[in-house]
Amino acid sequence: MKLNRKKEPLRVGTVGRLVLACVCIAIAGVAYVWQKNQIYRLGDDLRKREAAVSAAEKRNTMLAAQLAQLKSPTLLEARCQQYGLGLVAPREQQMVRLPEPGPEWDAKVLAPVAIAVAPKKPATRTVARR
Amino acid sequence: MTTTHTTRALIVVTSLSLAFTALVGRLVQLHVLRHDELRLKAAANHGEVRKRQGRRGEIRDCHGNLLANSQSVRIVCADPSITISNAGVAAAKLSPLLNMDAATLRAKLTGPGKYVRLKQKVDEETVQRIRSLKLKGIVYEDQYLRTYPHDSEASHYIGFVDADHKGVQGIEAAMNQYLEGVGGYEIIERDRKGREIRALRTEGIEPRDGYHVVLTLDQVIQHIAEVELGKAITEFRPHAGVIIVSRPKTGEILAMGCWPTFNLNNAGAAPANARRNRCISDVAEPGSTFKIVNISGALNDGTVRLSDTFQCESGAWLYAGRILHDAHPYGILTVEQILYKSSNIGAAKIAVKMGVGRLYEYIHRYGFGRKTGIGLPGEVSGIAHPLANWTKLSITRIPMGHEIAATPIQMLMAMNAICNGGKLMKPLVVKRVVDGNGRVILENQPQPIGQPIAPAASVLMTTALRKVPTPDGTAARAAVDGYDAAGKTGTAQKIEGGQYVRKYYSSFIGYLPANDPEISILVSLDNPSGGVYYGGSVAGPVFRRVAEKVVEYLGIPPQKPLTNSRQVASAR
Repeated sequence: MKLNRKKEPLRVGTVGRLVLACVCIAIAGVAYVWQKNQIYRLGDDLRKREAAVSAAEKRNTMLAAQLAQLKSPTLLEARCQQYGLGLVAPREQQMVRLPEPGPEWDAKVLAPVAIAVAPKKPATRTVARR
Repeated sequence: MTTTHTTRALIVVTSLSLAFTALVGRLVQLHVLRHDELRLKAAANHGEVRKRQGRRGEIRDCHGNLLANSQSVRIVCADPSITISNAGVAAAKLSPLLNMDAATLRAKLTGPGKYVRLKQKVDEETVQRIRSLKLKGIVYEDQYLRTYPHDSEASHYIGFVDADHKGVQGIEAAMNQYLEGVGGYEIIERDRKGREIRALRTEGIEPRDGYHVVLTLDQVIQHIAEVELGKAITEFRPHAGVIIVSRPKTGEILAMGCWPTFNLNNAGAAPANARRNRCISDVAEPGSTFKIVNISGALNDGTVRLSDTFQCESGAWLYAGRILHDAHPYGILTVEQILYKSSNIGAAKIAVKMGVGRLYEYIHRYGFGRKTGIGLPGEVSGIAHPLANWTKLSITRIPMGHEIAATPIQMLMAMNAICNGGKLMKPLVVKRVVDGNGRVILENQPQPIGQPIAPAASVLMTTALRKVPTPDGTAARAAVDGYDAAGKTGTAQKIEGGQYVRKYYSSFIGYLPANDPEISILVSLDNPSGGVYYGGSVAGPVFRRVAEKVVEYLGIPPQKPLTNSRQVASAR
């Protein structure tokens, strides 16, 4: 280093630019680290939620099997007898069987309705004939 | 600067240079020369290719009731080199949770080696409780467990899987390609504590769960059938028994039960004899139920009419040097009477009239001697000898169900063809295959595979078969109160050591309502004891009880008023 070098005053602009560059680099660095940290945290969170979903699915499967067991005719019959519920299928005389709506049903049920709501013109004609 | 200073400076610089050179050399060695080897080691330290197995699909009945599913369970393992220091306490804590003897556990926890399995098929809740104990050296492995919520019901139909989760019987084997999932993998990295770093996970191939199989089976009808079969087993103590319920118009199998049976959740403990699906893999001479084949053929050809008469020789007829007997002596019978009174001589005479070639043709048309195509593993073809191997007696013996062997499913499909207008349907066991979102992958439609007889002949057959479950017929006890049922009895002598012995197959195949059949039922008991062996007395009442409950369940309206006894029985 030359000891006899002439000292020059610091320029504000230059210093400002340097400081700005340093701050930008620092912000970029911090942002990078923060972002990385967030990614890892998010990943960890995701892992935990995946484990929770997996556990819920496993439990769901187990409960589905339990439900199927509880709904089985064998068990239901046994419970009916055990608790003396007296549940039986309805007797034929206790049933009212309704016919499926079809063309015949339309003819029987819809035709009278059509007559009832028909316009009054024919009636007028009848009067005119009198 | 003096010489001493220069020397010292040189020594420092040289030392530093050497040190840096050595460092650079080591770095070059590690990063360049041993790069490949160390890269693998590093990857193995924190990276891992994790295999992921797709879950096996579910099996459901036609209403969506679960019949089989796969549950994720754990294997609890231990590293004895770690657990040995605290084995007593660990064994005492684990014993009630694993439901194992503490001494056995302690022996495992103090054993040699670094890996021992303590218990398999441990559920997730138990694993969580063990985790909360914070025992060192206890680890867990994933395992799938196939569970069957209804234990032994429809066991032969559903089938089971082996230790590798591959189907070995029934639907599990037949639909294995759809049920089993497709495995996948993912590349993961772990931290110092062995936890996965999710952010560094590299997706490989996503696994795909197996498809769900929806059967034609109805769980309630299956239950009804098996309960009634069980009662018949208790009453008649046969060697074996089968029951099948189907829809004649579509060939859908609604229930299929066999006895002896086995628990699907412990299939390995059952003997092979109990695991066999007798409905498709056991052949026997069908006996009189086979009369439907030649008589329907003769009616179809116009060789005979229902009102035509045949002399039934008072129960003994000499033909080709051998006497053919009837169970009861009959004189002149119409074709209709031959069918509902089940005259062997009458059926034989009809066969003689129609001729050997036509009889053989109808046996072939009804599908005897070949598989029905039900699609379940283990189905056999039965035995229908080629025409060249027939003897002079064959024409009189085959019509009564001798010299021919058929499976129960073949007989039921033949009866279905009789009652559904003459269409031979392929038995349908799988309704559809769907994925996890309910999207249909495969849908099976009813499939006619032949037309052995014309609809007119089918109507004539039903006219005659309706009289079987009446006091005039052979199965008065098969009559279903309030319903117009039809069917045919069968009582076939068993063959042991090439000789007919005094053991019988008692069977009844029926359907109802006769004019527009909704269900058909086959009941067959192998060697019933107690001195009763006629199909009408043994299998007929089972048919009636099953039919009464099934029509009630399906809501099939009765064709005639119910008697009071039925009303009272129903109220109970």
